Amino acid sequence: MESAGHQPVLIIVTLLISAFLSPLLYRWRKFLSGMVLLAALTGAFVTALTLLGQVARSGELSYYLGNWPPPWGIELVIDPLRVYMLLVVTGVSLWIFVYALRDLEHELHHDVIGWYYSLYALLVASMSAMTLTNDLFNLFVLMEICAISACAIITIKDKRECLEAGFKYLIMSAMGTGCFLLGVAMIYMVTGYLNFSFIQTGLAAALSEYPLNIFTAAALFIVAFGTKAALFPLHVWLPDAHASAPSPSSAMLSGLVIKIYAFALFMIFYRVFPRSLLDAIPLNEIILWLGAMGVMFGSIYAMLQTDLKKMLAYSSIGQIAFIFMGIGLDQPLALTGGLYHIMVHAFTKSMLFMSAGAIIYSTGVRRISDLAGIGRVLPIPLLAFTIGSASMIGLPGTGGLISKWYLALGALETGRIFFLLVILASSLLNAIYYMPIVINAFMSGDEFKEKVKTVPPSMQATLVVGILLVVISGIFSRQIIVLFEQALTSLY
Amino acid sequence: MLEDQIVRITSRLVAPFIQVYGIYVILHGHLSPGGGFSGGAIFGASLVLIALSFNLEAGVKQISHQTASVLESGGALGFTVTGLIAIALGGNYLANRAAGFPLGEAGQFFSSGAIMVITVFVGIKVASTITTLFYNIIEKETPHGNSKQAD
Repeated sequence: MESAGHQPVLIIVTLLISAFLSPLLYRWRKFLSGMVLLAALTGAFVTALTLLGQVARSGELSYYLGNWPPPWGIELVIDPLRVYMLLVVTGVSLWIFVYALRDLEHELHHDVIGWYYSLYALLVASMSAMTLTNDLFNLFVLMEICAISACAIITIKDKRECLEAGFKYLIMSAMGTGCFLLGVAMIYMVTGYLNFSFIQTGLAAALSEYPLNIFTAAALFIVAFGTKAALFPLHVWLPDAHASAPSPSSAMLSGLVIKIYAFALFMIFYRVFPRSLLDAIPLNEIILWLGAMGVMFGSIYAMLQTDLKKMLAYSSIGQIAFIFMGIGLDQPLALTGGLYHIMVHAFTKSMLFMSAGAIIYSTGVRRISDLAGIGRVLPIPLLAFTIGSASMIGLPGTGGLISKWYLALGALETGRIFFLLVILASSLLNAIYYMPIVINAFMSGDEFKEKVKTVPPSMQATLVVGILLVVISGIFSRQIIVLFEQALTSLY
Repeated sequence: MLEDQIVRITSRLVAPFIQVYGIYVILHGHLSPGGGFSGGAIFGASLVLIALSFNLEAGVKQISHQTASVLESGGALGFTVTGLIAIALGGNYLANRAAGFPLGEAGQFFSSGAIMVITVFVGIKVASTITTLFYNIIEKETPHGNSKQAD
């Protein structure tokens, strides 16, 4: 493997530095503090783009922190799939931050905004590092940073339900990381390594000698990442946490944070576990069934909600389960669908939460039944909501269709017709709870009753960008699909 | 009150020794058990002790809120910048000998290159975090999450 330049680590360090600077700067220069983070996020995104070029030219690259080669030191690996995830993380967080700059003034007390910037930068830094790291213990540390900053961007809004939701999230998430650490210890016990690639060869040899240790570790990993990513029976913390948080936090949590753990599970399955382990016990099958249940129950719970943000939060449980179904079907086409859904859902759900945030910003309305006729007073937020709903359902022309299409192809290819039906049924269920809101907002005869404040231009602009992103991901998907096809062939 | 006097005089006498010990643990992190975190915690404990045995004002006189949070960010920044210096010297991020930091003779006081610099920054960070945490706990919370001093 060739050695990369310093870009991968610079992405992480720039974000960390801006995390440490923003609370300081915010004391003296409020405006500058936001701009520093904006510059850091832009820098991270642009650097990630240059990494994409580098990977396209020379294939997989690696970076040894502190010049210590693995297995002794921490290794960062840059391959096409990780760069894809890195681009999604940095790009979406930059996009949400532009929205957050204005929305936060409305939702938070001005004393804590500097700290919010700091937490935001820490969250993005930890997620970017999680995509790149090739070391299990490093992954654990980053998961802790990510979990703590994710809890803090919920509880920073000093309201009773936020504190309660944040506390619940903290406990569940701490249990998840606890399980992960125990699993890492068991893997370390039998292989003596923490580096992904070394473990993979080590486990293949150790499987016949210590099967119980390895099976327990696999079970612990599924529970750990299941809790963190809100896989169906472990999802209980998600609705409160995502619904009560400030809107930019909801967009980050639903759009990126749960997905990063799904991606980490994908990495564990295909980069840490040897093929012989996946063949020996039906790990993928377990994930597949939990995913299928999540797809159905997430949608059913969402139908019962009366609060707009809570409905979106429950819908996230159903949508994240699609990504797990992709891993569960264990087939290149389905994995393509699952991985593509990471990006599509990051765009779509962030945009939906941001348009919900814009509705709350300008009218204060949160109940779904109060939204009648709102489309005529807030055209752009509701247009964004409509496009987002279309993508959630999987209508043609939106990104949602592409990911569900590949998932369905994968289900057909493996001959699992039942799961094809699950995917179709969930699309119908999504239509049942998204469409009435859209129809009610635009077609209802009633005039909208509440007072309306204008949505700031920067917030409107981010929503327009969101609409474009969702539509572009639905029409020009070929390049990314080809990238997946090439990357995934190395796994089989 | 008599008891009060005993506590105050004892802690005033003991505090400088605790602080010196904290600095010792930080600086000998690469030679003996302990290091940035433990040493910083010991140093921070001395400031907490003063605030506990006297009152919050006496504690704040030692290290104010503002200074504590500047030191907190500064410590973390120092750590990351030390890593960046390694890049500037031609190594990878956080490289030590590979980047050309002088290592010295094993077992001597100056024998760890960048590690000692990093431990000092970690110590600053931990000491100021412990005091900030303590201040925040004993201060009253106002509805908006910014803290005001309790009487």
